[in-house]
Amino acid sequence: MDDRVGPSDEQQWIDEFEAAAKRPLRLRVRYAFIKTYRPVLDDEPFRAFDTMEDYRRWCETNLPDWLGYGRV
Amino acid sequence: MAAFEYAQAEEIRDAFSSHGVRYLFIGKSGAILLGFPDTTQDVVLFVERGQENGEALVSAIRELGFALSPKQAAEIVSGKDFIQLKNGPFDLDLVFAPDGIERFADAWSRHVDVEGFPVCHPDDIIASKAATNRVKDRESLPRLRSFRDNWVRNRP
Repeated sequence: MDDRVGPSDEQQWIDEFEAAAKRPLRLRVRYAFIKTYRPVLDDEPFRAFDTMEDYRRWCETNLPDWLGYGRV
Repeated sequence: MAAFEYAQAEEIRDAFSSHGVRYLFIGKSGAILLGFPDTTQDVVLFVERGQENGEALVSAIRELGFALSPKQAAEIVSGKDFIQLKNGPFDLDLVFAPDGIERFADAWSRHVDVEGFPVCHPDDIIASKAATNRVKDRESLPRLRSFRDNWVRNRP
C-alpha cells in the first residue's frame, strides 16, 4: 500500500488539526464518536481472547473484509 | 445503543480514578482526546496487567453499568490480551498487551494528561497501529503521523 501523500493533502490535514485544536474537548468528542452496526463484531455482548494473535485471527476468519480488520 | 459521549468518558475517568485503576486511552479514541479530528466507535483502554489492578478494573466497570458474570470478571482479572465489552452503557475494548508496546510502564512513562484523561503518547498510538498491520489502520496512519508531527510542534 502506498502511504505517500501530496503537499495539498498534508496542508489540508494541518488546517483540520489546527481547527480541531481550537474546539473544546467536549465538542471534539461529540464530533468524533459515532455508532453504526458492525455485523458479527457487534453481535455478542462479551468476548475475551487469550492473545492478540487469537483476536487478529478471529477477526480475519469471522468478520467481513470490508470492515477492514484483516491484516495487509 | 447511542454513540459514546463526553459524559461517559468522564464517568470512566472518575470511576477508574476512585478504584485506582492504572490505564491509558489508546487507539483512535486516545488520539481523539489528544485532538486528532477523525471518527471512531471504539473506546479502547490499555490496562496494566495484574491481580490488584484487574480486580479494581472489574469493580470500576461494574460501577459504570457493565453486567459481568463471575466467569467474565475472572477473565478480565486474569488479564487476557484483549476483551470486548458490549454489555454495558457503551462499547468498551480492554487491551492488556497492545501490539507494538512492550510494557505498560513504558507507555505510562510517556503518557499525556488531557484534562484528567490519561492518554498514550501519539508515538505509542502510532506504534500500536503500525504493528497491527490491519487494512483500516494502514489507511489512517499517514494522517495520524501528520497529526503527531503537528502536535509535537505545537505542544505547550
